[in-house]
Amino acid sequence: MGEEEKAEEKPEEKEKFTLHFPNENNLAIIAVIAGVIVSILPVLPAFVKGIGAILVILWGADSVRKTARYGLGTGVPSIGVLAMGYGIVGGVTGIVIGSVPALGGGGIVEPGVLVGVAAVGVVGYISGILANNEKFIGMKIPGLERGMAELGMAGALAVIIESSMIAGTWNAAVVIPEIIENGLIALIFILAAFGMLQPYNSCLGADERRGRTLLVSVEIGGLNCIILGVLASLIQGMAQGVPLIALGAITWVLFYSAYVRACLNEAHSVVGTGLIKTMR
Amino acid sequence: MVFAWTMVVIVLAFIACLFEDLESDEGSQSNPNSQVQLAPEMGYIHRYYNKAISGEGLSYALACTIAGTVAWAMLSKGITPVIAIPFGAGIGSLVHMIRATIPHLGRESAHKRFEQPIYLDVLFGHLVPIATHNFMAVVCITAIAYIQSPSGPLAAITGLPVAANNPFPLPLLCFIWGITVGAIGSSTGDIHYGTERLFQDRPFGEGRRVVYHGQICRYADCGIRTSKDVVAFCAKYGGPATGLTFGLIVLFENWRTLIGMMAGGLTGASLNPGVAAGVGIVIGLIIGAVLIVGNLYLVKWARKKFGPFVGE
Amino acid sequence: MDPIILVLILVSAIIGGILASLGVHLLPVGGAPAAMATATGVATGCVMLMTGSAVTGLFTASAVASFWEFEHANIALVALSGGVGAMLMIGWTMLIANLLYVFGAGIVPVSGRVAVDPITKESQTEYKTPRTDGHGMPNVSYISGMIGGFVGGFGGALIYVTLENFAHFSPATAGIVAIGIFIANAILAAYNIGGTIEGFHDPKFKERIAVGLFAAFVVSLLCGILVVVAVEIFPSLGLGGAL
Repeated sequence: MGEEEKAEEKPEEKEKFTLHFPNENNLAIIAVIAGVIVSILPVLPAFVKGIGAILVILWGADSVRKTARYGLGTGVPSIGVLAMGYGIVGGVTGIVIGSVPALGGGGIVEPGVLVGVAAVGVVGYISGILANNEKFIGMKIPGLERGMAELGMAGALAVIIESSMIAGTWNAAVVIPEIIENGLIALIFILAAFGMLQPYNSCLGADERRGRTLLVSVEIGGLNCIILGVLASLIQGMAQGVPLIALGAITWVLFYSAYVRACLNEAHSVVGTGLIKTMR
Repeated sequence: MVFAWTMVVIVLAFIACLFEDLESDEGSQSNPNSQVQLAPEMGYIHRYYNKAISGEGLSYALACTIAGTVAWAMLSKGITPVIAIPFGAGIGSLVHMIRATIPHLGRESAHKRFEQPIYLDVLFGHLVPIATHNFMAVVCITAIAYIQSPSGPLAAITGLPVAANNPFPLPLLCFIWGITVGAIGSSTGDIHYGTERLFQDRPFGEGRRVVYHGQICRYADCGIRTSKDVVAFCAKYGGPATGLTFGLIVLFENWRTLIGMMAGGLTGASLNPGVAAGVGIVIGLIIGAVLIVGNLYLVKWARKKFGPFVGE
Repeated sequence: MDPIILVLILVSAIIGGILASLGVHLLPVGGAPAAMATATGVATGCVMLMTGSAVTGLFTASAVASFWEFEHANIALVALSGGVGAMLMIGWTMLIANLLYVFGAGIVPVSGRVAVDPITKESQTEYKTPRTDGHGMPNVSYISGMIGGFVGGFGGALIYVTLENFAHFSPATAGIVAIGIFIANAILAAYNIGGTIEGFHDPKFKERIAVGLFAAFVVSLLCGILVVVAVEIFPSLGLGGAL
């Protein structure tokens, strides 16, 4: 299985695969800009949207990490699902509002969809106040208001971008029959939710490191691109689908191997097999 | 015909949830995972597989929805369901297996300061059992969703006043049943694993005290325990009981709907929807009352038989 | 669209959200400690349990709603079907979980928060393992859980049937939007109870319920407004067909 080789590689590989992610604020700004650009320009090819989706999911995963590390009381995944619960409501509303011709629906630049995203950001912020304020639920998590607003917006953007990756546009005339009534919305829901909730849940521990956790999010983003690319090639044709699958496959291989190497490097020790340390 | 397909669905539901529970025990997913996670912090270095993908409901929703989507795409291209459903389930469990590698590496390397090593034989040795158990669960769930979906055999039954299928499309049905099967698997099957198997060296017949937490049983019948040893134990009681739960839920949900439809005139020219829905609700309430009585009897029996807590 | 229908959709979203929150508060949820028989309740997170039961109810409700082919479905009957479906799901799960506690681990189901079961008047304290927070589902928790499942399933099915029938959403759209609103409320309720609760007899229930229902009201009002906006705008796009 190559255990020996991996163990031997350890000294020279150290620090080599550590990616330097921008800090939390910069990552949020980059993700918002990328997400907004790819969502208001549905004419972009699917693989460009794929990059936007990966960044948006990465932003969501970072928000999950910074809120869930204080302990939520009911497990890390819940807040990622909350993001997608809001994301579905905001995304569907945004898709319908954005399709209104007066707001640019049907044109090249379609900014109307951002109304839904902004609205669900407000809903998220208000629910963050409700959850954090001592007069209400009183969770006392620093930055929970901002975290929930970010999660709602990331969820809505993920729904919009992933819909437009599959269908080529997020216009209601196409998305409602092709994506929602076929049930593909459930796939979008769970894929985006996993990109946000799994990284921190899976890397939780005393020696958790942000750089390593976020690698998982990008890796899931790559995997999502492969699955969505297959659907895109069914619905839009190979010209859109194949570059998306290629993008997904490259991202997945790069970041998966980077993550595995990072883990094996940073673990206490990596052994092929062995007995446990006895203590009694 | 409707009843025959419903029986198929129930049998598949039993198998699905049985394997779902065993798969979650395979890598200590869901709630008992908190103990596997805590153990190194208490100095209990172990050889369990740490499969904290997410809650079982969500991870099964992921695998089943991917399986359902792939099956749906293949069916829409005219491929026969006999090939489309297992192929979709295969893709779903492949993704599940990839997801399962992440938490073991991530959580064990986050235990650096507690000197928990990553045992590569534990990592590689569990992946195929995880994928195969998962495949069994996902293929059954996808088949259930296919039978009930608008493109499935229930929809093809003609001569009824209403369609016998569920109006939800295949991927959404997979999502729904995935969440449900995971929720049931984590709320029933985990008890046998978490309470009994993880603390087998503690006194039998009492709740596990807070001071025991993290001090899990690390030795097998022979040698050191891995998560694979857990499955053989839970397959004797926890797994089948969990399968029974989901099977019974699907059985009584479909049974009361069908009895309601028969009362409303399923075989006639038209269905009286009010009667059909009402009879289904009344039967459901009766079953609920029987369940409450069953629990009353069970608790009474246990109190009488086991008696008050003895010991320190 | 007809303003009365818009108000109906908004009201049903609010009622459905509040009922979802109430359902979570009523369920006996032990979270991770319950899997080790250290806490009373079902051994899983409340979000998963409530969502799992509500979608089971939604499955039955969607089948029942399709009985009415050419007319508006009866809201009460469809929502009740959903509620009963969710109740049965919770009921079977708790019963078999108790079977596992009794026969798999030799444990008597007992409450950790009250000394006497308020319904059956059975004393609890001497059956409880010391230094645990109870274990299993005693009768009061069981009945509370059945009510919780019923209420939660009713709420989820109510949102679904209103959207499907009166906003003319397709079943899939109505289903996923109902799940979205439901999940958001269930999670806020789960944060409110802090992960574990035994049922309506738990002191935590009285302490937290008002806040939880208020939070659910605000959140489902806002989500409802978003949905109403979508319902109002969609026909004006002139696309035809159902949303």
